[in-house]
Amino acid sequence: MRPNGSHSAKPKDRTDQRAEIALGALASAVLLLIGFMIVFVFAKAWPSFTGNGLAWFGAGGNVDEQLTNIFNSPASPSDYVYTFHAWPLLYATALITGLSVLFATVISLLSAMFIVEFAPEYMKRILQPVIRLLAAVPSVVYGLIGILVLVPFVGNHLISAAEKDSVRYVIQLDGTSVLVGVLVLTVMITPIMVAITTDALRSVPRNWTEGAAALGVNRWRALRTVGLRAARPAIVAAAVLATARALGEAIMLSMVSGSVGFAPNPLDGVTFIFEPARTLAATIVDNAEGLSVKPFGQTIYALAAILLISSFFLSFAGWVARQSMRKYTLQAR
Amino acid sequence: MKDRLRRVGLLSALAIVAAVPAVAPAAASAKATITMSGSTSVAPLAALLARKYLNVCNHCVNFKLLQGGSDIGVADVASGRVTIGNSSRDPKPTDPGGLVFNKIAHDAICIVTNKANPVPGIDQAGIQAIFGGSVRSWSQVPGSTQTGTIDMFVRTPASGSQDAFQKIFMGSTKVFSGASQKASNGLIEQSVSSDPNGIGYVSLFFTKNVHTIPYKGVDCNLRDAKSGQYGGVRNFYMVTRGAPTGAAKKWITWITHNKAASKIISTQWVPLS
Amino acid sequence: MSAHTHAQVPSPPAASPLPGGRKSAEESWSRGDKIGVVMAWAAGILLCVVAATIVIYMLFRGLQYLSFSLLATHPEVGLDQSKTGGFLDPIEGTVILTILGTLIAAPLGVGIAVWLSEYARPAWLARAVESGVEIVAGTPSIVLAIFGLLIFQQSFFGFLSFTAEGNAVFGRSFFTAGAMMALIALPLIVGSTREALQSIPSHVREASYALGKDRISTIRRVLLPASRRGIGTGVTLGMGRIVGDTAIVVILLGASLQIAPENGTPVWGLLKGTGSTLTTYVYNNSPAGEGGAPQKAYAAAFVLLVIVILLNFAVDLIARRKEPGWTH
Repeated sequence: MRPNGSHSAKPKDRTDQRAEIALGALASAVLLLIGFMIVFVFAKAWPSFTGNGLAWFGAGGNVDEQLTNIFNSPASPSDYVYTFHAWPLLYATALITGLSVLFATVISLLSAMFIVEFAPEYMKRILQPVIRLLAAVPSVVYGLIGILVLVPFVGNHLISAAEKDSVRYVIQLDGTSVLVGVLVLTVMITPIMVAITTDALRSVPRNWTEGAAALGVNRWRALRTVGLRAARPAIVAAAVLATARALGEAIMLSMVSGSVGFAPNPLDGVTFIFEPARTLAATIVDNAEGLSVKPFGQTIYALAAILLISSFFLSFAGWVARQSMRKYTLQAR
Repeated sequence: MKDRLRRVGLLSALAIVAAVPAVAPAAASAKATITMSGSTSVAPLAALLARKYLNVCNHCVNFKLLQGGSDIGVADVASGRVTIGNSSRDPKPTDPGGLVFNKIAHDAICIVTNKANPVPGIDQAGIQAIFGGSVRSWSQVPGSTQTGTIDMFVRTPASGSQDAFQKIFMGSTKVFSGASQKASNGLIEQSVSSDPNGIGYVSLFFTKNVHTIPYKGVDCNLRDAKSGQYGGVRNFYMVTRGAPTGAAKKWITWITHNKAASKIISTQWVPLS
Repeated sequence: MSAHTHAQVPSPPAASPLPGGRKSAEESWSRGDKIGVVMAWAAGILLCVVAATIVIYMLFRGLQYLSFSLLATHPEVGLDQSKTGGFLDPIEGTVILTILGTLIAAPLGVGIAVWLSEYARPAWLARAVESGVEIVAGTPSIVLAIFGLLIFQQSFFGFLSFTAEGNAVFGRSFFTAGAMMALIALPLIVGSTREALQSIPSHVREASYALGKDRISTIRRVLLPASRRGIGTGVTLGMGRIVGDTAIVVILLGASLQIAPENGTPVWGLLKGTGSTLTTYVYNNSPAGEGGAPQKAYAAAFVLLVIVILLNFAVDLIARRKEPGWTH
C-alpha cells in the first residue's frame, strides 16, 4: 500500500488502462470544475476590487446605502458605481464566527470528555444518536426556531428600554442580534465538534491514560493532560470544520442576526450583544436577487471571493497546525 | 451470458430514455409562454388573473410566474430573461432604457403599528419625522399609548414597496439608516404585531394583525383606496421591453380592458378606472 | 541502565508524599479538577437539554399545525398564505432534487474514490484531486449556488433550464440545482467510499490478481461489492445534506411555489422547470420570506425534520450491518 493509502500497481492490460484513464478523467473533470469556480468567481469579482482598491476592506459609510447606490448605477458601463467599504460585514463575520467557534470548542471539549470518561452508561447510549440528530437538523429549522422564538424573546424581554434608548439615534434594537446569531450558530456547530472530539479521545490508547493513572493522576487530569494532548490534531480538524461551517452559514444567520450591515460597537457595553450584524454569507443571500445588475453582481461576487479565500486559508491553517502536531500525537485524519 | 444480456438491456433502456426528448411532441412548444418575474406584491394578483385568463381563452398560452422583487423584475425583463416584469413601484431614472411600464392596478400602502398602540392619525410631516429618525421616542408622538423607543421596520432597498413608500410618504427625506430592514410584507407585519413599540408600512392585505393609522384623516382600507381619498396609493405595473407584442399584448390588454379582469382586481386591489 | 544488570536490583524508593500533602490518588483531586468534572457534566447535560428542547418543541408545533390536507394539496400563490393550499409540491420538489443530486453525485463520488484509492497516478494529480474535494467540502453552499448561477446562465447550458424570448438563459431549474447539490454531497460520498476501500486488506486484492483478474475487474467484482456499506453510508449522508440545504434551492430553483414544468416530455420538462422544496417553503413562509404563515412553516419544518431523522436511521442501519469478514 502506498503512503497516501492507495493500492496502485501497473495496469495489466488495455481494459485496465482505459478504465484508469476514464476514472482519471472523471476525477480531473471535477478538479477542473472546481478550478473554474475559483477563476470565475474571482474574475467576476475583480472590477469591484479594482474599483475600490484597498479601501474595499476599510470602513466608511453605510454598507446598505452603498449597495443601493451600486444597484441603482446608471446603465452605461463607464458610469457604474462601485464604491463599497465592506468593513462592517467583515467585522460581523469575524465576530460571529469567532465567538461561536470559541464557545463551541469549549463546550464540545467538555462534552467529549464527559461522554468518554464520566457519563453513566445510559447517558452514553442516549447521547450518541442525540448528537448525530443535532448535527443533521437543517439550518432552516434552526433559523425558524430562532426567528419565531428566540428573537421575540430577546427583543421583548431581554433588551431593556434604557438600552434601546441609549443607541436609538444610531441603530434600532429589535431582537435580531449578535446574541441570537452566536447562540444558534454555536448550537449548530457543536454536535459535529463533539462527534469528532469524542472519536479522537476514544482512540487514545488505553495504556497512555493508564500510565498517567499509575503515576497517581486522577481521571480528569489524565484526560485533560494526556487525552486532549493526544487528540490535538483531531480537535484542530474539528475546529477548522466547525469554522468552515460557521463561515458559510447564510440562511440561518440571515433570519436571526439582523438585516442591517451594522458593525456592533464593543464600547456600548452589554448592549453590544444586542446589536444586529450581518455576515458576508447572509449578505449574499439577502441580496442574491439583484445579481443580474452588473456592478451589483460583481460586488456580491466579491463578497463570495472573500469567503472562498477564507475557506482556503482555513484549510491551509488547519493542515499546517496538524502537521506541526504530528510528531507528538496520534495520526489524525 | 446473463451479464451481457443485462448490459444490453441497460444500454437500450438508456437509449430509449435519451431518444424520447428528441421525439417528443414538438406541438407542445407551439403555444406561447409568458414568463413573469418581479414584485412579490403583484404576484398574487398576477396569479389570480392568469388563472382566469386561461379559463377564458381556453388555455391559449403557458404562464410562468416567478417573484424576487420589483427591481428583479425590471432587471430580468431588461435583459430579456422574462417576457414581463411585475413592478409595484414607479419607473426610476436609473432603470434600463427601452422599458415600457404598463399600469394594471393600484394598491394601498398602510402605515401600521402594534394593536396595543392605536395611533389615531398621522400626516406626512409626522411620517417623515418618525421614519427619518428625528423623532425616536413614542412619547413624542401625539396619540401614542407607548413611551419607549420607536422600533422601525422598513423594506429592503430592492423592494418596490420601499420605493413607493419613499416616493409617496417620505419625499426627499431619507429613511433612518438604523431602521430594521425586512424582506417582505409578511415580515413587517409579523415584526410590528409582536413588538408594542413597532411601526412599519405594508401593502393593504397584510394588515390583519396590526393597527392601520389613518393618513391625513383617511382610513387605510379598500373602500377609501378605491374612492381615491386615501393618499397612500401606489401603482402596479407590468413592464415590457418596448411596447408589448403578441401573446403578452393580448394578456395585458385583457387585464386592463376586460370586465372579468376588473372584477378580480376589485376583490383586493384597486382597479384602474 | 546497563552497568548494573548483574548487581542487585535496588528497591524502589520510599513512597514520596504526593504534592499538597495528600495521602493517596483518590484524594488527589484539586479544586480545579473538581470544577472541571462539574463543567464536563454540565456540558453533557446542556447538550441533552438543548437537543430535547429542539425536538420536543418542533414535535409540539409540528403536530399542532400539521394536517393531512397540507401534505396532499398543492400550494397556491396567494396574498394570504395561511389560506392557500398545502405543500405537496415542495415535498415532491425535495424528493426530486434529492434523487437527482444523488444520481449525479453517487457515480461521480464512487468513481473518484476508486481512482484515488486504487490508481492515483500521477501522484501530483491525486493530491490535487484530494485537495479539490476538500475545497468543495469547505466551500459555503451559498458560494456554490451563485457559482452555479454563473455557469448555467451561459447560453451553452440553455438546454438545462429554459430560455426566455430575449435569448437570455434563465439558469434556474431542477437540473441546475441538482448539479450543484451533487457537488455538496460529493465529498461525503468520496470520503466514505475511500475509507471503505482502504479498509479492505491488500491480500484480497493480491488474491484477485493472482487469479488472473485485472485491476478494473477486481474493483468491479470484489472491492466495490465489499465496500457497499461504506458507499451506502456516504450516499445516505449525502442525501441528508441535500435535503437540508436551503441556499442552493433559493438561488437555483427559480422561486416558483408550484412545480412548473417546461414544455416537452414529462420527465425532461419537469427537470428543466422550476419549483420549490421543503426548505425554501419553510424559509418563505417564515418571517424571512413572503409567506407570513408561521403555522405552515412549522408544519413543513416538522416534515423536514422527520425526513432527516429517517435518513439518519438509515445511515445507522447500513453502518450496523455485518461487515464481510476478512481473515487478517
